[in-house]
Amino acid sequence: MPQLRFAYLVCFAVLAAFLAASAAQAHHGWAWATDEEFEITGVIQSVRLGNPHGEVTISVDGEDWVVEVGQPWRNDRVGLTKEMLSQGREITVHGHRSAREGERLVKAERVVIDGKDYDLYPGRKS
Amino acid sequence: MFEQALVSVENLAFVSALRNSTLMYPVVNAGHILGVSLLVGGIVPLDLRLIGFWRTYPVMVFVDVLRITAAVGLALAVICGALLFATAAPDYARSPLFQAKIALVLLGVLNALTLGRVMTRRDIRSLPMESPMPLDLRAGGLLSLVVWISVLILGRLLGYF
Repeated sequence: MPQLRFAYLVCFAVLAAFLAASAAQAHHGWAWATDEEFEITGVIQSVRLGNPHGEVTISVDGEDWVVEVGQPWRNDRVGLTKEMLSQGREITVHGHRSAREGERLVKAERVVIDGKDYDLYPGRKS
Repeated sequence: MFEQALVSVENLAFVSALRNSTLMYPVVNAGHILGVSLLVGGIVPLDLRLIGFWRTYPVMVFVDVLRITAAVGLALAVICGALLFATAAPDYARSPLFQAKIALVLLGVLNALTLGRVMTRRDIRSLPMESPMPLDLRAGGLLSLVVWISVLILGRLLGYF
């Protein structure tokens, strides 16, 4: 029954593809964030730059928010360095927040430090 | 102390360089994916043959070719995976998804080694053509299939949670 066996294989492949697709919805590109423009200002607590993307933790009214900045080349391109993201500095983030309810996570399009703009995604409206 | 060791791994000069690299990180990432593809791409048809698919083809063709393919894939995945792990060692070590994935990798390797021994003991090389595999090999093949695909799914989920 080679046909029947082939049908099993196809079913298996479809199941695997479905599982992979449902996982991929979560955190790639912008799909995991809301479409609405979002702005938040806070004080930098800690920073971890590097691949796959940098993370800056900021404190806003006593609550910690995680700001995703770019991967190394994107941060380098606008001159966003670890030194500038030092603890205690104020930062304003323009971007999109996570669509998951209650999650304090923002993906940054543009950040403002000391009145200066660092536009990580010049092609996107922020 | 374990935490301390992980932090020092993360801070090694070449690990920092990899973390902050523009090209090396995606290349190592691609190496990990290539390893996983060879591993899963080899193991799935091999396990299916043990379970009972493609019985008109000699089992040893599958065993001899695909076992090596999968082992080379595993080695590549482990080497590149260790480098990716190092770039954020404490974070990965804390993640329940990562812990589960590593436990399943160990289970998968143990199962593969056992399967190899059982194949020799049962002397499947001299089984008549098209005969079904002994039950322990079929069960081991099914376990292998489930374990390695679960490892792949857990690995992918790691990037998202």
